[in-house]
Amino acid sequence: MTLLETENLVKEFGGLVATDDVNLTVEEDERVSIIGPNGAGKSTLINLITRRLDPTSGDIRFKGESIVGLEPHQVVQRGVSKSFQTASIFPDLTVRENAEIAALAAERGAFGFEFLKHRDSLTDVHGVARDTLDSVGLLDRADTIATDLPYGDKRRLEIGIALASEPDLLLMDEPTAGMSPEETKSTVDLIERVKRDHGLTFVLVEHDMEIVFSISDRIVVLSRGGIIAEGTPDEIRGNEAVQEAYLGGVEL
Amino acid sequence: MSEKDANPSAKDALVGGTLFGRWEKLRGREGTVVGITAILVAVFPYLFARAPVVSGFLQGYQSLATLILIWGIFAIGFDLLLGYTGLLSFGHAAFWGGAAYAAGIVAKNVSGDPIVMVVSGTLFAVLLAWVLGFLSLRRGGIYFSILTLAFAQMFYYMAASPLAFLTNGENGLTGVEVGSFLGVIHLEADVPSIGGMLLGTWLYAFVGVFFVGAVAVAYRILNSPYGMVFRAIRENEQRAEFVGLNVWRYKLMAFIISGGFAGVAGSLFTIHGAYVPLQSLFWTESGDIVVMTVLGGAGSMFGPVLGVGLYLYIENIVSTIQALTIPFTGIVLVRDFGFYWHLLLGVVFVAVVWVVPDGLWGILNRLRELAVDLGSKAAKRLRARSENGGGGQ
Ligand SMILES: Nc1ncnc2c1ncn2[C@@H]1O[C@H](COP(=O)(O)OP(=O)(O)OP(=O)(O)O)[C@@H](O)[C@H]1O
Ligand SMILES: [Mg+2]
Repeated sequence: MTLLETENLVKEFGGLVATDDVNLTVEEDERVSIIGPNGAGKSTLINLITRRLDPTSGDIRFKGESIVGLEPHQVVQRGVSKSFQTASIFPDLTVRENAEIAALAAERGAFGFEFLKHRDSLTDVHGVARDTLDSVGLLDRADTIATDLPYGDKRRLEIGIALASEPDLLLMDEPTAGMSPEETKSTVDLIERVKRDHGLTFVLVEHDMEIVFSISDRIVVLSRGGIIAEGTPDEIRGNEAVQEAYLGGVEL
Repeated sequence: MSEKDANPSAKDALVGGTLFGRWEKLRGREGTVVGITAILVAVFPYLFARAPVVSGFLQGYQSLATLILIWGIFAIGFDLLLGYTGLLSFGHAAFWGGAAYAAGIVAKNVSGDPIVMVVSGTLFAVLLAWVLGFLSLRRGGIYFSILTLAFAQMFYYMAASPLAFLTNGENGLTGVEVGSFLGVIHLEADVPSIGGMLLGTWLYAFVGVFFVGAVAVAYRILNSPYGMVFRAIRENEQRAEFVGLNVWRYKLMAFIISGGFAGVAGSLFTIHGAYVPLQSLFWTESGDIVVMTVLGGAGSMFGPVLGVGLYLYIENIVSTIQALTIPFTGIVLVRDFGFYWHLLLGVVFVAVVWVVPDGLWGILNRLRELAVDLGSKAAKRLRARSENGGGGQ
C-alpha cells in the first residue's frame, strides 16, 4: 500500500525554488533515505509533509487522502510524526513527561476536556511512554530533567518523542547531526532496532553515507529542489549523475 | 468530584497493586495540600488581626485578610496562564472587573443572593474570556499581550460612558445590596464562639471556602493532563503542536480557566465591598496582578498568593505609617513614609526579582534547601566525630 505520495510538489521562497516538482512515494514498510548536498531542499520537503510549510503548488496525500489543508497536529494525528534536526524537547520537563506528552496526544487525541482528571489514572499513556523510553534506552533516566541530559541523549529523547506519538510514518531529519561517533553508532543501532521491532516505515534525511547505504531500502537523491535519481542503494552507488551532482566523483 | 475519581482507582487496582498504591499516595498528597490550606485559611485572620503581640506587630485587620484571599484566588488563576502556560495577559482586569460589575448588576436587578452573584459574575467572566481569548490568542508573544490590553481598555471606556446606564459610569456601581447567605446568614455578622475568634466574619468564611476550593481545583488541574500540556506549551510550543496536540485549543482553555478564577475573585470583590469602582476595569488592575504573581513566584501554586499578601500589605498598611522611626528611640528616619509606598513596592519588587527570579516562593524554597543542607552536614559531622572516638583532635 502506498502510504505517502507527493504530486508535483513545489515550494518557492521568493524567487528561490526550494522544492521543484517533486513526486515522491513511500510504500508501507519501506525505509527511504533522502540525500543531497547542503541546501538541496531536504528539510524543506520534510517540512512540507509535516505541514510546517505551505506548498506553493502540488498535493501531498497520506493513506490516499490529501493533507494539504490540515494543521500540523492533525497530520500527526493521522500518523505522520517527525523528529527534528535539532533536539526539540521540553527542557524543564522530566524525560518521562517528555514522552508522556507525545503519548497523551497519541492515546487521547489532539484535545480533551479532562482538566479535572488526575494524570495518574491515564494508565495507557504511562504504558506507551514507558515502552518508548525503554526502546530508546532512557528508561533509567526517566526522572531526569530533560535539559540535564547530555546532547546525545537529548537527540535520542527527540526520537523517543516522535516514536511515542505512535506514528505510521516517521520522518527523521538528520538524527545523528552533531553527534560524536559513539553517539552516532548508538543512534543507528536504535533506528535499526526500531525498524526491526516496530516494523516502522520511515523517511530519513542523512549526510552520513555509510548509515544511508546500510539502512535504506530505497534512496532518493535531491539536488536544487528536484529529484535527480532514486533507486536501491546499489543502483544509487553506480549512478553517474549522482556521482557528478552530489558525491563529486568520490568513489563509494 | 470524588465519584469520578473512584473509577480510575478501581481500574488501577486491577492493573496492579503498585500503581494503585502510588495513586492513593498522590491522592493523599492532594488531600494534604487542601487540608493544610484550609487550616492556614482558618488561622490567618486570627494571627493577622486579633492574636496578641503578632497582630499588634502586623497591624492587620479583618477586611484586609478577606481582600488578600480574594486577590489570592485571582492570582492562582492568573498564574495558571502566566507561570504554567507561559502566556502574559495584560487584560485580566476585564475578567476581574467584568465579573465584579456583572455580580453587582445582578444583585441590583435580579437577586442579591451571594451564591447567585458569584455564579453570574463567574459565568460572565468565562464567556468574556472565551471571546477575548479567541480573538487575542490568534497572535503570539507581545502581540497577544497588547491585544488583551487593548480589549480590556475597551471595556473600561465602555463602562465609563456608553454603558453608564448600567454601570453608573465614573462613580462606580453604588447601592449594591448583598443578601444573606441561604437566606439566614448575614455575611457582615461575626461567626459565633471560637469560629468568630479564628475567622471573624461570615464573609471571611464565605470567601475562605472559595479560596480553598480554588486551591483544590488549581492543584487538580496542575496534576491533570492539562498541567503537563500547559507546561509543554510554555517550554516548546512548536514541539507540542508537532506531537499532535491542538495547542491553540489548549491555550484557549488556559485562558478561559484563568478567566474563570478571575471571575470568582471579581464577584467576591463586589460582595466584599458592596460597591464596584470603575477602577476595577482599568489597566492598572491588570498590571497589579502581573506584579503580584511575579513577585510571589510565577510557576508555583502558592507563590502568587504570597505576592498578593505582600503587595496588599504594603499598599494598605505600610502606606499608613506616618513616620519611619528607629525602634525604641523615636528618631525619625523618613517623614510621611507611607506616602512613598509605591516606591517601596517598586524597590521590593526589583530586589526580589533581581536576586531570586522565582520570587518569594523561590526564597522559601531556597531557605528550605539550606536548612536541609545544614541539617545533613551537621548530622555528618556528628557521625564523623562519634566514629573518631569522641573527637580526639
Ligand atoms: N524559511 C526559508 N526562507 C527562505 N529560504 C529558505 C527557507 N528555508 C530554506 N530556505 C532555502 O531553501 C533551500 C533549501 O533549504 P533546506 O533547508 O531545505 O536544505 P537542506 O537540504 O535541508 O540542507 P541541509 O543539508 O543544510 O540541512 C536553501 O537554499 C535555503 O536557503
Ligand atoms: Mg536540512
